[in-house]
Formats: sequence, structure tokens, C-alpha cells
Amino acid sequence: MLKKAAVENILTAALESGADFAEIYAEETKRSNIAMVNGRVETALGGMDYGAGVRLFFGNQAIYGFTNDLSEENLIRIARDGAAALKGDRIYNIKGWKEMVARCINPIRILPDSVAKTAKAEQLRLASQAAKNFDALITQTRAGYLEVMKHVLVANSEGIWGEEDRTRSRFTVEAVASSATEKQSGHLGPGGSEGYELFDRINVEDTAREAARIAVTMLGAKPCPAGKMPVVIDNGFGGVIFHEACGHGLEATAVARNASVFAGKLGQQIASPLVTAIDDGTIQNGWGSAEMDDEGTPTARNVLIKDGVLQSYLVDRMNGRRMGAAITGSARRQDYRFAPTSRMTNTFIDNGKSTPAEIIANTEFGLYAKQMGGGSVDPATGSFNFAVLEGYMIRNGKIAEPVRGATLIGKGAEVLRDIDMVGNNLKRAQGMCGSKSGSIPTDVGQPMIRVSSMTVGGRG
Amino acid sequence: MDRNEFLEKVLAYGKKEGFAECEVFYRGGKSFEVLVLEGEVANYENSRQEGLSFRGNLNGRTGYAYTEQLTEAAIPYLVETAKENAALLSPEDMEELYEGEESYPHLEGINEELEQLQVEEKIAAAMRMEQAALAGAEEVASLDYCALGTGLAELAIKNTKGLDVSFAKNFATAYVSAIAKKGEETKTGSYFWKDQDWKGFDPEATGREAAVRAASHLGASSVPSGKYDVVLDGRAMVALLGAFAGIFFGENVQKGFSLLKEKTGEKIASEKVTLRDDALLQGGYASIPFDSEGVSGKNKAVIEKGVLKTLLYNRKTAKIDGVKSTGNGFKAGLTGSVKTGCTNFYLAKGEISREDLFRRMGNGLFITSLMGLHAGTNAVSGDFSLSAEGFWVEDGKIGKPVEQITIAGNFYHLLEMVEELADDLYFGSGGIGSPSILIRGLDIAGT
Repeated sequence: MLKKAAVENILTAALESGADFAEIYAEETKRSNIAMVNGRVETALGGMDYGAGVRLFFGNQAIYGFTNDLSEENLIRIARDGAAALKGDRIYNIKGWKEMVARCINPIRILPDSVAKTAKAEQLRLASQAAKNFDALITQTRAGYLEVMKHVLVANSEGIWGEEDRTRSRFTVEAVASSATEKQSGHLGPGGSEGYELFDRINVEDTAREAARIAVTMLGAKPCPAGKMPVVIDNGFGGVIFHEACGHGLEATAVARNASVFAGKLGQQIASPLVTAIDDGTIQNGWGSAEMDDEGTPTARNVLIKDGVLQSYLVDRMNGRRMGAAITGSARRQDYRFAPTSRMTNTFIDNGKSTPAEIIANTEFGLYAKQMGGGSVDPATGSFNFAVLEGYMIRNGKIAEPVRGATLIGKGAEVLRDIDMVGNNLKRAQGMCGSKSGSIPTDVGQPMIRVSSMTVGGRG
Repeated sequence: MDRNEFLEKVLAYGKKEGFAECEVFYRGGKSFEVLVLEGEVANYENSRQEGLSFRGNLNGRTGYAYTEQLTEAAIPYLVETAKENAALLSPEDMEELYEGEESYPHLEGINEELEQLQVEEKIAAAMRMEQAALAGAEEVASLDYCALGTGLAELAIKNTKGLDVSFAKNFATAYVSAIAKKGEETKTGSYFWKDQDWKGFDPEATGREAAVRAASHLGASSVPSGKYDVVLDGRAMVALLGAFAGIFFGENVQKGFSLLKEKTGEKIASEKVTLRDDALLQGGYASIPFDSEGVSGKNKAVIEKGVLKTLLYNRKTAKIDGVKSTGNGFKAGLTGSVKTGCTNFYLAKGEISREDLFRRMGNGLFITSLMGLHAGTNAVSGDFSLSAEGFWVEDGKIGKPVEQITIAGNFYHLLEMVEELADDLYFGSGGIGSPSILIRGLDIAGT
């Protein structure tokens, strides 16, 4: 994409302003996605993202500019334009290149663009049919296929030279069940940093039937009662609770500005001693995994909370400067339009000792959130909100009737302390996380957990 | 190569590769943003971008592709990808390209004064905003965000049937989010401004308002669960309206993803409700002379005095219902196909002040913000259950702040439940607008 000599000239031009750090990020990304509605291909889209961003640091001040024109001359102009805003007091030099050593974190077996689009559409057709045939109540189906093949280059004045091919594949399915007056939907979306072999790993028909089952179950459900109660959150996408309520508050982008409830709490007990939480960008073929982060730092397995004690934040280069903290390989961005900042990769609560059966049996009354939807959080306050897609009441230690329309609200710091049982069935699930540096793939995950008391919103 | 020449080259290549008709959609622009923190420039961004999307009809099927690499080398990839994509689609989904109209409505796109604004002035305004926010309330000691931006967006569509339109628009934005602290309690409050008229921008008032909002929520508590009368303010209602705008799209109705099938001409809302989609609104954030298919922008009532007057259509969905496109065929960026989108989409304001609306409610809740919109709403059923923040209203007066509650309901029912609207019409950044509205008997979950 860019030659070393050109990169050296661009970074040198950037450093002429007195910037103490200069970085270039360039990418060429080919995407393809297919969406099927009610068994017919509705959209087949694709194309190429192509661009580069130049970033400069002057102490704790940062400058960023991006462009789609990757000629050396234009990139030098972008670097100089940006640098005109600030002045440093000395000229820094580029250090000698240190090439990144690949660890083969995301081996790819079948490159997605080597498979015909008609074969991909056929997978969607199989899924649509399976969902439709699951039950007469299923009235609509949507199925989707996504592939991303991204080539990135990160080079900076510290001598980092990192190049990586990042391939992601994902399959999504949604089923809608209808009665005369109601519609309810269920959806699932497995994927990974992997190639077309995704379709060897998962069975699209089983996945579609599971989405259909959720929709049909929820159609027959009564509105969820509102109020404070114990809540059991199942594994997999249930981890969205930790992602939203705690993970965002551990990102240096919030911590550095003192805009997180977890700022200044390193070494303190911030969660129940049952909670150990990890962010791991090195999980093989994980949805949020990569060789390096978007600043060229190798990804890492970062233990965030151990036995309830806060161990580490997720730190990018600039916020590391502001906080005086070491970087953790957590700087990410959607694409060249965004300067990178600290983000999660694959984040999960680690296994505990209880079995799921024990957790349910030990709960006299409460809500069992089997499937969670997405949510959001205000990192400054830790207040969060998220939807329960598939929920049941728990009565006398047994899973009872299904309930719909439930939301869980609370504050991250309180929920962390109120986790009183942690299961042993850790599972991860895929999501897209939107924040300052755009929308990026992240895994959430956890085993089944119980929160002793939570506010449940509902209409019953 | 000049832009027009490049677009012509793409069209010619498409024709050569067998497309019976084809179109290029160009989007370019520049953006500037400065973020200040403690009296210093913390971040500064200055960028340019452009890209184009291609669509064309091959063997009666429509194929799309896009590229951000605008060099001749990218043209074969672009057209080849569009061919592959076309092959997956059915002929009945073909999108006929539009030859355009004789003339288009005139909109002022570029504010010259804003174009001439110097970087130093922008940075100075951001600094003033920060100072005003920090001084705006005793409890505000830090800011979450304080940014000022300007931008310019250009659009051009050209096709082999003769359509050739373009439009450019500039704008400025300011956003402040203040953090108020009292003991262990933390609250944030924000204020967003977007306009072309730089003269009308008051950095001090913007900063101060964010601070006042943050501090006003300190000392908040929850309320007992139950049914409450509620005033939803413009900001909260804009969030809700945005989440459910899709129910008014012809394509969602046709596909069964909206419950408004065969409801056109029927009463679906309280007679107090008039909902407009106005592409030509003077000074509107989303004002645009033509949509992504080249159909001229229009001002139409979607709901008038409670009666559903029209759905929002693009050319394809209008044809299915045997009506004309309402000029709502929009692409989501370069990557998407032509779907349906709103322009300035707003609930028409009422005649009484917000204070009178509170008096009319008597006792209840004033909801100022809703959270979790992307998760807590079901666009198909209309159900919503959202975390909310606001204030008690007692005897028509704003009382103490309220937090940690959820409001739950159904958007279709909500439209029927609107008892009154105030005259304080507010527009969000996307062009969606609403005044404060009074609803009786909403379900609230608290303690």
C-alpha cells in the first residue's frame, strides 16, 4: 500500500513541526454482505474502503487528519496541515524500523473472496427456510452474510512497522413470530476473525431454528413484572452486562478524564470476590482478536479484575501519556476515519464454581435472562440499560413462565458488587461496539451469573 | 482528473461491461473538529474524504458497489463487484433509474461567512464554551467533552438516463458534556448545537446550559413503580421518534415490519398529532433539494390531526403501492443501497407553553432523557422499555430530579395517548424534531 521510503518522508514532514510522535495508519478493506428477507436476496452490497490517517502528538495534545488520496504528496500535505495548529520546541527523529512478529492469532483456512457469492446466498436460503419451517407462527425471516478483508499498515516515529491482514466472517439470522396483535423476534449472529470455514464450524439451520424458537416463545410470553428482584443472567451474550456496565468504564478514554466511576480505584475491591474479568485480544480466531492493535502494539491478555480487585485499565498511547500508565495493546478504531483510542477486544467474566443448575435452584424468586439484547451506558456515572430478549420468571428454584419486554437498569459499580453467584459455563458471543473511535467487532462473554438485586423494567 | 470526467469514465465503463443503464453517486467533503480540555487543544482533526457508489441494471437486475479509491485502477473492480452483486438479485427487485426533473427546489447550501471562519476563531469559541461550562454551576468541576466542529458535504448524482444533479452544504456543530459531582454522586449534562449561522452561536450559553443540566440532576432518586402522567420533553421524544420512524416507511409496511398496513387515511393518533417530513424546511438540519435517486425534496404531512396521510416512499416502494415517490429514497452512506430515510421529520408544535403543559398535567414526571434506544425498543411491535431521567412535577412546577427508572409502553399506543403538545419544538442533530408532549398513564418502573 505504502512503501517504507514514502512513509519515512511523510513521518519526517510531520516531525518537522516539532511533534514528538508521528504515526500513519493506512488501510484497504474489501467488504461484501448479502441480506435475505423472507427467503429472497434483498441486498447484495460490497466495495472497497481506502484511506489513511496521520496522527501527531505534541505532549498531551493530539492532531489527526485523514484522506482517501494515498499519494505521498497528499499525505505530506495532510501531515503539514495538521501540524500547523501546534508547535513543538525541538525536532524529533524517526527511530529504526522494528517489524512486528506475527503470532498467527487468526489463521484463515478459506479466504472469503475465494467462494462464489451464490454459495453464500445458498447458506442464507437454508437458514431462512429452517426458521420459516420451525413453526407456523414464524411470519418473517431475515438472514445476513458479512465478510471483511482488511489490510492495515501502522507505522510510527518510534520505529513500529506493523502490517496485518484481518479477515472476518459473520452469519446473522432473525425470525419474527406473529399473532393477530403481537410480533416478537429472536436473533443470533455468530462470527469470528475467520474465513469461510465459519460455515464448517456452525450449522446455519440449527442457528436459525434457535432464533425462531426464541421468537415463538416470546410471542406467548406475558409482560415482565417490574421492580427490584434477583436476576440470573445466562452465559454468552449475557456478558453484555459487564461490557456495558464495567468494560467501558475501564477504558482509558474515560479514566484519563476522570470520567469513570473506576478512575483511581486500581488495587481496590470494586467487585464481588467471585468476579474475575479479562480482556483478551489474542484468542484464536476471536471476533475481537488481532495480531496488533491499531497503534501497532501486539494485542494481549489483560486481566482487568482479579477476585474482585481492579488490576488494570485498557490503555492506548495518548491516554497512557495522560495517565502515566503503560499501554495494553487496546487501541482500536473502526477505520482510517477515526483516531484510535482504548477499546475492548474480547471481554468476559471468567468461570466461577457454581453449576447453572445450582444457581437456578438457589433462587426462590427472580428473573432469568436467558438471552440479552444490546444496551448502553453513561461511563461517567456507570448507569446502564439493556434489554432482555428472552426472559423467564424463576419461582421456587425453578424456571417458570416466559416474560417479555423486560429491561435491566442499574449502575455498573453496584451490579459488580451484587454478583453473588458465578457459574462454570463461560461462553462468548459477538457484537458490534460503538464508541468514540467508531464501530468495532467485540466479543462479550460470561458464565451464568446471579445478581442479588436489580431494577427490572417491564409492563406487567 | 477532474471529478466530472472521472464520473463519466465510470459510466462509460459500466456501459461497456453490459449495464443497460447505470448511475454514479458521489459523496465528498471536509471536516474539522477541535476538542478542548483544561484550556488546551486536546484533539484537533482536519480531514477530507470522498468516494463513489455505482448502481446499474444488468440483465434486468440491479447491482451495487462502492469505492473510496478514486483512481482509474479501481474502476474495473467497482464494475465487476456490481456485476456479481446483480447476479444474486431477482428481476422483480430491479430499480429503474430516474431521468431527473426539469427543475429542483432552491436551497441555500453554503454559508459563505461560515466558510471564511478562521481556525483560531473556532478554537477560541471552544475555549469560551469550556470556561462557561466550568463556571456554569458550582458542582461542575470537569467536562466529559467539549468540541467544536465545522464541515462541508458535497453530493453529486449522474446517470446514463440524463440525471445530473449536485448540492453542497456546510454546517457547524458544538457539543458540551459537563460532569457535576456532589459527594459520591455523579451526573452528566450535555448540550448540542448545529447550524449554518455562526453569528447565532453563543458559546457561553451552550457551555452554561450543559453545566446547569448536569447540576440539576444531582440529588436524584427513583420513584415507586406505577402508572404516571408524563411530559416527555423534545430531546426525549426525538430519541423515541427516531427509533420508530421506520414504521412510516412504505418498504417496512410492505414487508410486514410495521403495523401500519392499510392504515393510510385512517386515524392512528390523537387528533392533536401532526407529523411532518419536510425536506425543504428553512434552516433544517436535514434539508436537501433531492434524494439519493434524484427525486425532488418535498414537504408533506405524514400524520395530519391524527390521520395517517402518507407513508414515506422511494421510487421502488412507491411503484408497488401505486403512488409517487415522496422523495425519501436515501442511501445510508456510500455502502448501502437506496432505502427509505426521513428528512426533517417532526411533530408539529402545539400552542401552549411548556409551563402551561406542566400546569395541565398537575402532578407527574417530566422526562428529559431516554437511554438504551438501540436495545430497549422493538421496531416491529412498537414496544419500548427505556431507562429514563427527569424531574418530579408537583402542582405544575418542576420539583426534585428523578433517576433509575424505566418507562415502558408501545409507540403506536403512545401516538393515540398524546393529550397535548407544547410550543417548544426542538430538533435533534439528525433533523428529527418534537416539542414537549403530555401523555397520561405511562408505566414506570422504579423502586
